[in-house]
Order: sequence, then structure tokens, then C-alpha cells
Amino acid sequence: MIRDKRFHLSVLLLTIIMVLGFATLCMASGDASGTAIPQPPGQTPAFGNLFVIGWTAVNFFVLLALLYKFAFNPINAMMDQRAATIESSLKHAEEVRIEIDQMKKETQANLADSRKEAQEIVARATKAAEDAKTEIINKAHEEADNFKVKAKAEIEAATEQAKKELKDTSAVLAIMAAEKLLGRAITDEDHKKMVDQFVNEAGDMLC
Amino acid sequence: MIFGMHDGVLFHLGPIPVDHLVVTQWVIIALLGTVAFFATRNMQEIPRGLQNAFEMIITWANEFFTQLMDKPHVAKKWAPLLTTFFLFILVSNYSGLLPGSATIDGFQPPTSNWNVTMTLALITFFSIYVAGISENGLHHFKHFVSPSPAMLPLNLVEEVAHPLSLTVRLFGNIFGEEMVIAYLLFMAPFVVPAAIMGLSLLLGAIQAIVFTILSASYIAAATGEGH
Repeated sequence: MIRDKRFHLSVLLLTIIMVLGFATLCMASGDASGTAIPQPPGQTPAFGNLFVIGWTAVNFFVLLALLYKFAFNPINAMMDQRAATIESSLKHAEEVRIEIDQMKKETQANLADSRKEAQEIVARATKAAEDAKTEIINKAHEEADNFKVKAKAEIEAATEQAKKELKDTSAVLAIMAAEKLLGRAITDEDHKKMVDQFVNEAGDMLC
Repeated sequence: MIFGMHDGVLFHLGPIPVDHLVVTQWVIIALLGTVAFFATRNMQEIPRGLQNAFEMIITWANEFFTQLMDKPHVAKKWAPLLTTFFLFILVSNYSGLLPGSATIDGFQPPTSNWNVTMTLALITFFSIYVAGISENGLHHFKHFVSPSPAMLPLNLVEEVAHPLSLTVRLFGNIFGEEMVIAYLLFMAPFVVPAAIMGLSLLLGAIQAIVFTILSASYIAAATGEGH
């Protein structure tokens, strides 16, 4: 629709131009008193003008030299330089890529090594801890055993001491009881006899 | 009043006469040289502005001629000459569209004169021989008697027809266009020539391309394997 409008407008414009132009043309030819179309002055170019040919050849080669110096040579050199730059950039990029690949591989290898080492360290630490634990437990057991043995010995010694003290006390008590019963002092001989007897009997009963 | 068909001496440089169109050629050369100088004055690895435009033209031309010719080294060798043809003819053709063209003394589109187009065609003609001999040696001359010696007259006619066609085609188109614009300007200076000028904008580029491509194909044919 818009295109149609534009087309019609341009046709109209062109028609106006042509009409105006031809009106001018008619007026111009009307002024020229009778002659239909006036002839512009001038002369047809002579063929084979050696001076023009020579000048043109010289001028053309001067232009060629100028363009060679200021356009073709520098631009071709620049193209070559640009090609070299692009080539070296691509090469550099390839090198960097290879380097990065290598670094990646190295990093991965390092990572694997580190992981292995870490695992070893953990395993070693675990083992050491286990060992320490066993040792501590064993030591504790040993100490407990020692303590038990010592305590038992102490208990036995105390028992013996108590028995002995009891024997002595019971002997004194027996003498005192016997004295009360007999109402008199017992001679050393009787005393000794009775005490020994009593003690032996009481001791046997107690133990 | 001087029109497109004028062919006259503007001044003498010592004993040598200098025509109007020779002065225009100098201006064109100065223009192209200056643009090229400023385009490549501070070449950057990353192109910008004028350098980018010039690099684009030259790279495009190099690629184009490499595709057109069978041998890349021949294309590389002849691309500067062919690109110069293109730029020179293009700017010459377009110079006829500037106001004052063919009416100011010393300002006349060079390609509207057949002495100029013939010179360019002769440069192509000799380039074909240089390219053919440098590539194939004296075997280049075998093409006169190929496919059989009976074809020699026809081959000779063809040999002359190449530069002649180049000369007449370029001259005829640009001279004709200049003449049409000159007549229209003379008779109806109001708006009417604008349509023809728009057309000649296209025509100038086409003629420059045609001349360059034909020259390139003649050189390609002379350096080809089958020659």
C-alpha cells in the first residue's frame, strides 16, 4: 500500500519534471527564431592526437606508481602483517591451550597424589590412635590389676594384724575373767598354762 | 562556450601542447593520490575510516581478479594495474557529472575523448603480450595459428578487435552521455538533465567495471593453460 503510494507519487513528480522541462525546451526553441534545435558549438575530437595519447600514457603510469606506493604496497604489506598476526595469535592460542591441558593434567595428578597422601595420613593417624587406645586400655588394666593385688595384700596384712591384736586382747580378758572366778591371783605357772590353753581354744573358735 | 565534444589545447608546456582533458587527468591523479596517501598514512592493524574503505576496495579487487583468473599469482601481479584502470576510469567518468564539466577551461572528462580511451586500450593490449610472454614464453604466439594456421587472419582480426572494442565502447558511452547532457543543458537547463545524470551515474560505474573485467579476462586468457 505504502509502496503503491510512493510509486504513484514518484510517477507524478517525474511527469511534472518532464512537462516543465519540455516547456522550457519549447520556450528555448521558440526564442531561437525559426531553427528547430540549436547546435551547440564545438568540434568532434580528432582521432590520433599523439600529444593526448602521450600525456595520457604518462599520467596513467604516474597514477599507477602513486597508487602502488600509497595504496597497493602498504595495504598488501598490512594484509600480510595482519595474516601473520592472526596466524601467530592462533598459534599462540594453540600453545596456551596445550599448556593449559598439560597444567590441568598435572593438577589432576597432583590432586590424586594429595588425596592418596591424605588418605595415608588419615590411615596412619587412625592406626596411631588405635594403638594409643589399646596401650592406654592395657595400661589401665595393668594398673587396676596391680592396685587389686596391692589392696588384697594390704587387706590380708590388716586381717593378720587384727587377728593378732584380738589374740592379745582376748588373753588379757581371759586372765581378768579367770582371776574373778578363782578369786585369787594365779601363779605364773598356772597363769601361763591357762592362758595358753584358753588362747588356743578361743583362737580355734575365732578362726 | 565549450561543450563535451571540445578537443583543444589549453596551454603549451614548452613545445608540448597540454589539452583540457590532460589537466583534468592531473586533477584526477592528484585526487586519487592524495586520498590514497591519507588512507595509508597511519596504517593501523585494526583499520578505520579511509584506510578501511581503501583496504576494502583493494581486497575486493584482489579477490575478484583471483576468481576471474585461473592463476592466483597472475592475478596478484596484474591486480594493481587493473584496479588502477577501474579507479581512473570511474573517477574520469564521474568527473563529467560535476557542475562546470566541459564548460570550465581545463575541465573535461578524459574518458569522453577517444585518444584517452585508446591509450588505455593500448595499455591493455601491451599488457596482454607482457603477461602472455612472461607466463608462457614464446608459446604465447602460438595462439595466432590455433586451432589451425588457416585461422591466422581471423585471429589477427580478433587481436585488433580487442583494443578497438575497448576504445570505442568506453569512448562511445561516455562521449554519448556527455553529449546528451550537454544538449539537454543547452536546450533545457531546468531539471531535465537530472534524469540523464542519474542514468550516467550508473553508466559511468558500469563502463569502468566492463573495461576492467574485459582487460582482466584478456590477460587471463593470454596466461591460461590452453593458450
